[in-house]
Amino acid sequence: MSSHPRTLGAYRLAVRLYPKRFRDEYGPDLVGLVTDQLREEPTWRVLGRTTVDLALTVPTRHLEAHMSRSATTLVPVIFGAVALSAVVVGVTVGHPSVLLACLAVAVIAVSLALVATHRARPLTEPRPTTRNWWKLLGGGAFVLAVLIATTTATGELPDGAWFVAMVTGLTALVLIGAGIVLGIAHLASRANRSTAA
Amino acid sequence: MLRSKPLPAASLHVVLALLDGELHGYALMRRVEDLSGGAVRMGPGTLYGTLNRLVEGGLIEETTDRSPRTDNERRRYYDLTPNGRAVALDELRRLQTLVHRTAGHLPGAAPA
Repeated sequence: MSSHPRTLGAYRLAVRLYPKRFRDEYGPDLVGLVTDQLREEPTWRVLGRTTVDLALTVPTRHLEAHMSRSATTLVPVIFGAVALSAVVVGVTVGHPSVLLACLAVAVIAVSLALVATHRARPLTEPRPTTRNWWKLLGGGAFVLAVLIATTTATGELPDGAWFVAMVTGLTALVLIGAGIVLGIAHLASRANRSTAA
Repeated sequence: MLRSKPLPAASLHVVLALLDGELHGYALMRRVEDLSGGAVRMGPGTLYGTLNRLVEGGLIEETTDRSPRTDNERRRYYDLTPNGRAVALDELRRLQTLVHRTAGHLPGAAPA
């Protein structure tokens, strides 16, 4: 039985500041190591060293976890959404030169998405990002609907308003594209999980 | 496969500490402190973050279940993989070369 229940209780709470995956893997070991230290060293020294260690390593572990997530889902999704939006814009505008430029953008974006996916580590658990696909799709559709309704109601727009409308429309298309890509990824991961089960 | 880049300081200390054989977390921390003459004192988050990276990099592995333990408490033991041992020895040679060459250029030092 430990003779420092308060110190260990406080450290156990502090361990919760680490990312979930890290504390699930090493949480009991971290507490065990501090317990060993408290047996052999003065409490003030252990507390001082542990506080500095927490201050330095909690942000580092979160940064590592964030970078790992970015590498696995966010980057391919962004490139996928850009590709989809470029195709939609090109087909909608219909002018051959615009269509050609949009197709070139789409090809580059798809290539970058594939490279990012290839470089990413395989997913071992469902990513929370994909669960929000419907928010992006719904949000994009809503913005697009509002934009269409506004431009239809106001008739001819001045030059400045056309620019704002164009940017808003492109943003809505990117949101819709991201929603579709995330939705496909979400359905695929659900299918994989049910196959594995 | 050997690394061409030197290991970061914390990883270097851990792999050198494991050259004598497997250790659990606290023993490893004490071994690093001992090897560095008390200059390097790793905290729990630093130690387990380093162990995590080294396990993912294939330089060390957990050996807890490899042999029966007498500890009352459950401790996790770590040891170098064959690749990790090669990297540790390579790092050791690199440091020896560095010290040897640097000492040879110091004023008043005997030529190597």
